[in-house]
Amino acid sequence: MTDQCPSTRGKKNPASDDSLATAGVVGGTGRKLWKSIEEYADTGEFREFLEREFPAGASELLGSNRRTFLQMMAGTAAIAGMATLPGCRRPNHKIYTYSREVPEEIIPGKPLYYATSMPMPGGYAEGLLVETHEGRPTHVEGNPLHPVNRGKSSAWSVSSIMELYDPDRLKYPMFRAASGDSVATWSDFRAWSAEHLKKYDAKGGDGLAFIVDKKTSPTRNVVRDAVFERFPGARWVAVDLTEAGSTRGSDRAATRLAFGAAKRTLYHFERADVIVAFQDDAIGGGGSNLANERGVASGRELSAADDRMSRIYTVEAVNTPMGGLSDHRLRLSPAMTEAALFELARIVLERTGGGEELARALATSAAGVAGGDESLDGAWLQAAADDLLSAATRGVVTVGKTLSPEARAVGHAINRAIGAVGTTVSYLDMSPRDPFGEEARAGWDDLAELIAEMRGGSITTAVVIDSNPVFAAPAALGFREAFGLVTNRIVMSVGPSETASMGTWQLNGSHFLESWGDAEAIDGTIAPMQPMIAPLYDGALSEIELLALFAEDREPSAYEEQPSGYELVRSAWRDLTGASGGDFEKVWKRSLHDGVVAGTGLVSGGGTGDDGGVTAAGLFANVRRAVSEYTLRSAPAGGALDVVVANDLMYDGRFSNIPWLQELPNFGTMVVWDNPALVSPNTAKRLGLEPDPYTVKEPKGRLARLTVDGRSVKLAVWILPGMADNTVCVFNGYGRETVGVIGAGVGFDISPVRSASGDAVLAGGRLEPIGGKYPIISTQNHWTMQSRTSIVRSVDAPAYRKHRDHKRAKKDVYGSKEYVNLAEELGELAHTPPTLSIYKHPYTDSIEGKPAEGSEYSRRPQWGMTIDLATCTGCGVCTVACQSENNIPSVGKTEVRKGREMTWIRVDRYFTGDDLNDPDEVYFQPVACVHCENAPCETVCPVNATVHGPEGINYMVYNRCIGTRYCANNCPYKVRRFNFFDYGVKKLNGGLRDEFPEGTPTPDNINLIPPRLREKLSEIEKFKMNPHVTVRSRGVMEKCTYCVQRINAARYETKLQDLENIPDGFFQAACQQACPSNSIVFGDLLDESSRVHETYNGARSYALLGYLATRPRTTYLVNVKNPNPAIRTPIEDPFHHHHGEEHGDDHGDDHGDDHGDGHGAGHGEDHGDVQGGGGEHAFGSDGSRGGFMPRRVREGGRTTVSLPVMNLSSMPSFEGGVTA
Amino acid sequence: MRMIFPKWLNLFPTLSALAGVGALLTVITGTWYYATPDFWEVGYMPEQPGSGFNHQLHAGKLGMDCRYCHTNVEKSAHSNVPAVATCMGCHTDGMLGQQWDPGVEKVGFVRTAYANDDSIPWRKIHHLPGYVGAFPHHMHVRAGVSCYSCHGQITAMPVVYQDQGLGMGWCLDCHRNVEENIVPPDKVTDLVWVEQHLKDRKQGAAVPSAAQQIIDRIQESIHEGGPQNCGACHH
Repeated sequence: MTDQCPSTRGKKNPASDDSLATAGVVGGTGRKLWKSIEEYADTGEFREFLEREFPAGASELLGSNRRTFLQMMAGTAAIAGMATLPGCRRPNHKIYTYSREVPEEIIPGKPLYYATSMPMPGGYAEGLLVETHEGRPTHVEGNPLHPVNRGKSSAWSVSSIMELYDPDRLKYPMFRAASGDSVATWSDFRAWSAEHLKKYDAKGGDGLAFIVDKKTSPTRNVVRDAVFERFPGARWVAVDLTEAGSTRGSDRAATRLAFGAAKRTLYHFERADVIVAFQDDAIGGGGSNLANERGVASGRELSAADDRMSRIYTVEAVNTPMGGLSDHRLRLSPAMTEAALFELARIVLERTGGGEELARALATSAAGVAGGDESLDGAWLQAAADDLLSAATRGVVTVGKTLSPEARAVGHAINRAIGAVGTTVSYLDMSPRDPFGEEARAGWDDLAELIAEMRGGSITTAVVIDSNPVFAAPAALGFREAFGLVTNRIVMSVGPSETASMGTWQLNGSHFLESWGDAEAIDGTIAPMQPMIAPLYDGALSEIELLALFAEDREPSAYEEQPSGYELVRSAWRDLTGASGGDFEKVWKRSLHDGVVAGTGLVSGGGTGDDGGVTAAGLFANVRRAVSEYTLRSAPAGGALDVVVANDLMYDGRFSNIPWLQELPNFGTMVVWDNPALVSPNTAKRLGLEPDPYTVKEPKGRLARLTVDGRSVKLAVWILPGMADNTVCVFNGYGRETVGVIGAGVGFDISPVRSASGDAVLAGGRLEPIGGKYPIISTQNHWTMQSRTSIVRSVDAPAYRKHRDHKRAKKDVYGSKEYVNLAEELGELAHTPPTLSIYKHPYTDSIEGKPAEGSEYSRRPQWGMTIDLATCTGCGVCTVACQSENNIPSVGKTEVRKGREMTWIRVDRYFTGDDLNDPDEVYFQPVACVHCENAPCETVCPVNATVHGPEGINYMVYNRCIGTRYCANNCPYKVRRFNFFDYGVKKLNGGLRDEFPEGTPTPDNINLIPPRLREKLSEIEKFKMNPHVTVRSRGVMEKCTYCVQRINAARYETKLQDLENIPDGFFQAACQQACPSNSIVFGDLLDESSRVHETYNGARSYALLGYLATRPRTTYLVNVKNPNPAIRTPIEDPFHHHHGEEHGDDHGDDHGDDHGDGHGAGHGEDHGDVQGGGGEHAFGSDGSRGGFMPRRVREGGRTTVSLPVMNLSSMPSFEGGVTA
Repeated sequence: MRMIFPKWLNLFPTLSALAGVGALLTVITGTWYYATPDFWEVGYMPEQPGSGFNHQLHAGKLGMDCRYCHTNVEKSAHSNVPAVATCMGCHTDGMLGQQWDPGVEKVGFVRTAYANDDSIPWRKIHHLPGYVGAFPHHMHVRAGVSCYSCHGQITAMPVVYQDQGLGMGWCLDCHRNVEENIVPPDKVTDLVWVEQHLKDRKQGAAVPSAAQQIIDRIQESIHEGGPQNCGACHH
């Protein structure tokens, strides 16, 4: 980030005196844009880091000395010798044909897609389409017919394929007795259980307990009832172990307070004009998150036809995806977030009819709240409330699960008060088809009761299925000890778990991709779960099959009579659908084909009658009662911290053996393979827990002890800009011991600090440094384009509406476009003179970028992509979907630390603003290979391993690559990935254990084995590979190919169907298919009816680093913010002509020519008066980094806006457009 | 000094230069000739399980169409090897009558495999490396590339062997000179006709109009031939 602008070089930034932020921040044109504390501070180390092609150490052979080198050379020589022996012509490949039965539908070489569904953690489901090759599932996509997915998928469902082929899965039953463990068979278990359960028949099931995962499966409910029929006295606990307990936080508790009965809350964000979110979790987590994410994104989408845009306000303690999208964000501790919610509710209820009493109760409840270091921004809340009231039915308030049920009930009251119920919110009874009411039951209470009974010795047999309470329940609950007291512990689990290893019977369960079953989505839609493959490990039963085994007293010899999962589902569905005979067969086949059971959706989309069955007055009275018994907490003060216990992608630890998820950078922090406690930078500084400044080899977080009510846990601490001060956030699901090689020992187990009731927010936490450091690996500084400019661009909605038709006649840098649009005016492409080649481009047949008639680039198809920054939530599903489709390996923590992660598409995260502790905004930008038409990588490859195709794709030819890495060095976008080792064909070993402090267990550190010495992949792991994509080996460069295998497959198919061109939407790139917010659009740019044609040529489309004349085929759509003028004046003319006063009209249209001197001379002195701070200068030099975003300066809690400054002297249409 | 270096030693530089050039030429010609798939791959004729499958008899003498067994060659990139059940369509005990039944020693392995529901582990002959993402059989057959062009005169092979090197240069030769190899799509599996026709065509025989149409279309296309860009095959 050397500042090359002569007028500002060497000047210090006067804006901040923060010690972290001293040197190097000069020259931000708009707001400063930074990814990390190091970039913010611009340390020398950091600069060195990013000036390297790969981080130092990335290209070193770790742990190699002369001896190992000689060993390796000897091995190489031996292999070379063997290769030259005669007779070793080729390995003996065999073709195993089908034998007697030839599956009619299988055409070898063509994948088949089957619909199924995945039970999501915490209940509800996603509907999926699974790609299978010759009976082998390889890739998971969303089912377009499923109301939650609509063709999209979550990171969990995509990576379920990894879980299926996990080599660490349980493979056979184990029987553990005092005399020792022994491997058993399923028949052994059948014989034992048939005999054993007879004892309970007489007692009516007393002493028998079942602990299962919270699921919404109609068939499981039927089988459960059958178990109850035989054992009426059995205990049944269905519990989500990360959910807050019965007393605090859960949606169940909140709706019970508000409506008197547990309800599902369904949001219809696509209809919302104003969203106010309090510590939101409606997107980025939970059973309906895909639908919610799609709804929110559709409100932020802008197209030529529709420029309506929703406005989002968030109040939150910990950064959320909704906070990232929002137009206005308040950063408050959890206690104060609730106070802000009460205040907003009071304002709203006082202005709408019927809620006056509730408003008074809210005021009373909030009366004693002490703000401490924080203060409620009354004007902000007033403005949000006004906006909400004017949006009326098209407004919506969401309150996250970490807040109290009373707070959530207040949220329901606001939605009712503004009339949103029926439009943007609707309610549905929990357990709509289950008289037992399993879903509505507070599983937590059941679990606590059961633990008491276990302690009392009245439970003699406990059956645990797909649940891991030994690890995931709070240690304070004492499940582990109580479970140990039960004589017979039957545990069925797909993978190894802490609970399974305690089982006297440890049973290998079948994965959902191997099982028959069903699952109900949040809106009531029932989806079938059908097996893609027979259970990989013989005899494995699914959950319903195991329960059915218990449900009937059957001789073990008669086990063949036991209904299979298939029969169980069919018989349950006969009752469910009411169809029989031939009719049922029709329904059955149709449902399996579609992946949904038609007509089971209970919500038509928020019509009337979805109001929860309570009148407004009744609701207000209920909420008033709840609020009057509830006292708001004061803000954390006096060194105490609010502790937020949250879930990330590991959930309760069930996903922790999936390397794709471990290596997917965590939201906000970009930390991989770990769950450090997160605090705001200021809090970290106050506590003496600031992470070390980034150094190349030793990225360290400080170790600390977190104590709440005498419970404590040791963990590392990391900072997250934008978090509330005096708040610490910890994540469930890490630090597992018995899970398989990937997840074992990754991160810190926080269950010791959780309260017995599982509260999501714990007050009065203490975080004390205990000395010592711990390596935290964050990818935020990897692959940075830092020191380039205008990477992320953003305008305010009024500016977009005003200038969207802007077209200034000017050829772009490569002469391919005739005009400059709104988005390009925000960057330097608009000012870069055309640089014409002296050679004809082989594919354009011209010296310009514009293809000549008949040239390759003038023929269809020409592939291109756009990525909408306004709708991207930063969830990272694109990354996982791409890994799955393209056989991209995970590399493990030690390798990521060296910057060797292999993901082809990364999601960059930028903060903006001058305050490290409280950034103005956060932006996400997925970056994959942009397929430059003028690709810098191609010109430097000595062996032509990366070349262009006639359809505009930059190909990577693996077999030609000799690994010089020149291409990666020359790539300005940093999207090329190098296989330093055989990542794709060797086993991966998860995290990093060696640097644990004293006193913590340090098992053998398999993770330090360099990949070259690791075991090869087992056969089972190879099953997940996409057969149409090469598995790359060591020494080969790779990168995004625009899913060329899908393009080719689509081309074959269109030819077979005698179509002239590949129609738009005929296929999707993997990232595009997965993206829940539809941010990624891919297709044929020359197809005028295609979506990408519209977006690529639209007003918001800009070429990333376009001024380098790379002509990328992937363009980005400018982010648009929709600020409320009452809080921040939107900037209508982002193109401030700051030279106007001095230079008058001496800038013509041919600005490009005088750019060089005009730019250098113009600024430096005349920016000071605009910004008030001096030191700002125009874009175009390397210092600005941030692109053009309006600069906001905080003054005493209020946000004011100063104008962005840019050197846009060639834009007469915008001259003088200064409004403050 | 004369005693140490005899006069004939003056020839040494010349001779060694000649030897050097000779050695270099040997290495180059040796590499040129030997280090190619045409040397290493062509003629690969592994022993097949059981008594093998006689293509000469089935596809040649009996005149069975290739697609009778390789059913998906027009539908899929992958041309399938038939299931055991396909063999048993004719070779079930007693089906062919005593006169034609090849007997236990010939087809016993097929019947046993079928009885046990086992597959027959045929040895793979035509093998493309992993970094070739696709050889789309269906596209080639559709475009009038005969089986003969890549697999040789299969109808004359009692035991199938590899006829062509399948190297990339060989692929591109054809993609650049489509007019030499394209035949009418309905003749694609008539290997005897194709062999004769392609010979005749070299002698100046007319290209059938069905083939000429395809050739014209391909030559007008973006590639002026079959696709020659890397991504067409490598992914």
